[in-house]
Amino acid sequence: MIAQLTLIERQHAILISAAVALLGFLMMLAGRDDPMGAHGALIFVVSILMIFRIGGSYYAPPPSDDRLKHYYDDPSKVGIVISMMWAVVGLGVGDWVAWQLVNPDLTFGTGWSSFGRLRPVHTTSVIFGFGGNALIATSFYVLQRTSRARLPDQVSPWFVLFGYNLFCLLAVTGYLMGITQSKEYAEPEWYTDIWLVVVWVTYFILYLRTLARRKEPHIYVSNWYYMAFILVVAILHIVNNLAVPVSLGHAKSYSAFSGVQDAMTQWWYGHNAVAFFLTAGFLGMMYYFLPMRAGRPIYSYRMSIISFWGITFFYMWAGSHHLHYTALPQWVQTLGMTFSLMLLIPSWASAGNVLLTLNGAWDKVRDDATLRFMMVAGVFYGLATFEGSFMAIRSVNSLSHYTDWTVGHVHVGALGWVAMITFGSIYACVPWLWKRERMYSTKLVEAHFWLALSGTVIYIFAMWNSGIIQGLMWRTYTDSGTLAYSFVDTLVAMHPYYIARAVGGLLFLIGGCLGAYNIWKTITVPGVTSEHASDLPQPALAGALHAAAE
Amino acid sequence: MSLFGFHYRLERKAIGLTIGIIAAASVGGLVEIAPLFTIHQTVEDAPGMRVYTPLELAGRNIYIREGCYACHSQMIRTLRDDVDRYGPYSLAVESKYDHPMLWGSKRTGPDLARIGEKYSDQWHVAHLNNPRDVVPVSVMPAYGWLLATELRTDDLDLHLKAQRRVGVPYTNDMIANAAMDAYAQSNPDSPQADGVTKRYGKATTMRAFDGLPSKLTEMDALVAYLQVLGRLTDAAHKSLATAEARQ
Amino acid sequence: MIVEHAFLVGFSKSFGLFYLVVLSVAVVLHAMRPSNKKRFDEAARSILRDEAGPWR
Repeated sequence: MIAQLTLIERQHAILISAAVALLGFLMMLAGRDDPMGAHGALIFVVSILMIFRIGGSYYAPPPSDDRLKHYYDDPSKVGIVISMMWAVVGLGVGDWVAWQLVNPDLTFGTGWSSFGRLRPVHTTSVIFGFGGNALIATSFYVLQRTSRARLPDQVSPWFVLFGYNLFCLLAVTGYLMGITQSKEYAEPEWYTDIWLVVVWVTYFILYLRTLARRKEPHIYVSNWYYMAFILVVAILHIVNNLAVPVSLGHAKSYSAFSGVQDAMTQWWYGHNAVAFFLTAGFLGMMYYFLPMRAGRPIYSYRMSIISFWGITFFYMWAGSHHLHYTALPQWVQTLGMTFSLMLLIPSWASAGNVLLTLNGAWDKVRDDATLRFMMVAGVFYGLATFEGSFMAIRSVNSLSHYTDWTVGHVHVGALGWVAMITFGSIYACVPWLWKRERMYSTKLVEAHFWLALSGTVIYIFAMWNSGIIQGLMWRTYTDSGTLAYSFVDTLVAMHPYYIARAVGGLLFLIGGCLGAYNIWKTITVPGVTSEHASDLPQPALAGALHAAAE
Repeated sequence: MSLFGFHYRLERKAIGLTIGIIAAASVGGLVEIAPLFTIHQTVEDAPGMRVYTPLELAGRNIYIREGCYACHSQMIRTLRDDVDRYGPYSLAVESKYDHPMLWGSKRTGPDLARIGEKYSDQWHVAHLNNPRDVVPVSVMPAYGWLLATELRTDDLDLHLKAQRRVGVPYTNDMIANAAMDAYAQSNPDSPQADGVTKRYGKATTMRAFDGLPSKLTEMDALVAYLQVLGRLTDAAHKSLATAEARQ
Repeated sequence: MIVEHAFLVGFSKSFGLFYLVVLSVAVVLHAMRPSNKKRFDEAARSILRDEAGPWR
């Protein structure tokens, strides 16, 4: 990998690592009485290791100019591997905390292993670790192919990828030590947040620089979605994380906002993290990998454009539906509800596009589990967005809010849409990247598909049941006008569903592990190298796969 | 077309898309969030509302650190069953000193907005130490180590200062005595106890929350925080009373 | 500068919806304009065209 870097690029990489190491050292000094010191040490060690890694190949012969005739795919390859590692960790921790709700003593009796600290480890690992790395890796891949241009340099993509993973690592280790802002999906503290801004700005500039090298004037729609993902996440991240640290040597900070303003800002962020991280980015992925895998263009390019602007505009209004019947002014709640309902239009435009693109190629869907992953993702996307709009209606929300129904809804989107489209795209992309005829084992892909699908279905049915039952029990009155059930009564009723949920999660986790193993074998086992060792993906492969599976 | 012109067109398109995305995406947040910063002009104020004592603030930080907000809301909605179960619905003004707010999004456990003084200190200590000792079917984790961990107080003044910077009215006097006040609040027989009531009001709860006056533990802080929840102001009770009187 | 709460709320409720209508119309017109059809169809097919590598 390092042999691909020119001498100048190797020097830059070492300089950047040294600067980060220095920052880590300063944090270690300033935070010596605080958990922040441990983070300083972590940053320092990681950067020093990086310097040694680059230094070890410093005198390797410089790369030939031949490299410029190919796309620069090393960061995408590494990104996909890291993404799968986060998937296994994140799904594993998620299932662990699910079992903790079945048996709360499944901890080690220590702070780090309790539910409250592990839950953000789960959410961050799957959303930012698994999802974020998959987005970065595929965005580099898609950006280069759709622009027909190579990335402009070979250092900044690595900075984005490793810098981003440093962010994830600081976030997750922070929660275990008790470093958190308590803002859901924005838990990392101020210095981690500032670091992400640096990485994110580099990411966006890299995107624009590559686009400026493209061959044709039109920018393919996938890039629109990826750009909206990068840009809007930056805006959300910066505003929601405005805070004053206790001191430069303290990890702890206090949010600039309080009370109702903070609640609105947080859910403006929270809901749009769903919109622009978990939707826009993955739609970008879908609009490239689905047509490529199916070997046919997207059904309606126009619909993809309407969907794009609809999502970009509508979503930003919808966050207040998280605050129905609270101390937030009612007109804001009503706006949130209205726009949540309108969101159904652009959302279903994209979901419909998936199915209509596959219309006429159902034989491929039947035979190719990778394409089936993408199709099921489209169906769950349609389902999740319908359910989301439904739950944003005030009267429905009065029942569903604070219950497991919300958790179920999130997982329709997260397991059914985000994870499925990611697995599908990765299974399509891995053989193309490593120039293989197909995945190491198509049977394992098939097994993964059924595990993922059954795990998701069990999970969401369990949560629908428990959520609706709990919501109804909370509001049931006796004939004499008093509440019929105590809170503890509802806990007893939840128990069987918590077991079912943990089992569903376990199936999904096993599927993820099979996927990681299969990808690893595809990379490491030589032999099935593709004949067409060109740089472009092979849409026809889906057909070849079919033949191979017979 | 010259190469320069082609390039220019390419870049203009990418930048145009960037601006378009920002223009489309910023509106929703702006119009929903900006008016909230002028909201104090319309909602009822709570003149007698006090700030968290250093001990309660430290407890709040432990609540945040342990992720309690993931399972407990602090927001009673304006629904009949919410009010019947948890007390008068929450007002915006009640969390005006909460940086950040802890309204929560999930009730795996019950709402805590008005938990203060509903249970005894002993109950809280036993419950936090092992929830299943008092609620056999509880799924809450045990927080046994809180009783054994001493509370860090040497930097509490910095915490109060940072709070003041984001708008919480802590006085110089409060900041200078932060560490001592934390100690004194859980040690009502100590000579410094008068200082706490002087600075935070007579209604401030002064008790050895964890049952051990000699030691200031994280349990002291967390229980002190739980016992003050919903009690910084009585605005919500008043507002409900006037609403009922009107009917 | 003192901004009236009522003014801000009024502005939010009216301007936002006005913006919504204008933007929706503009986007639909842009996407559906017959003269754009060729460009969009070409764009949809462009990713499937086989080219052997980056042009630069």
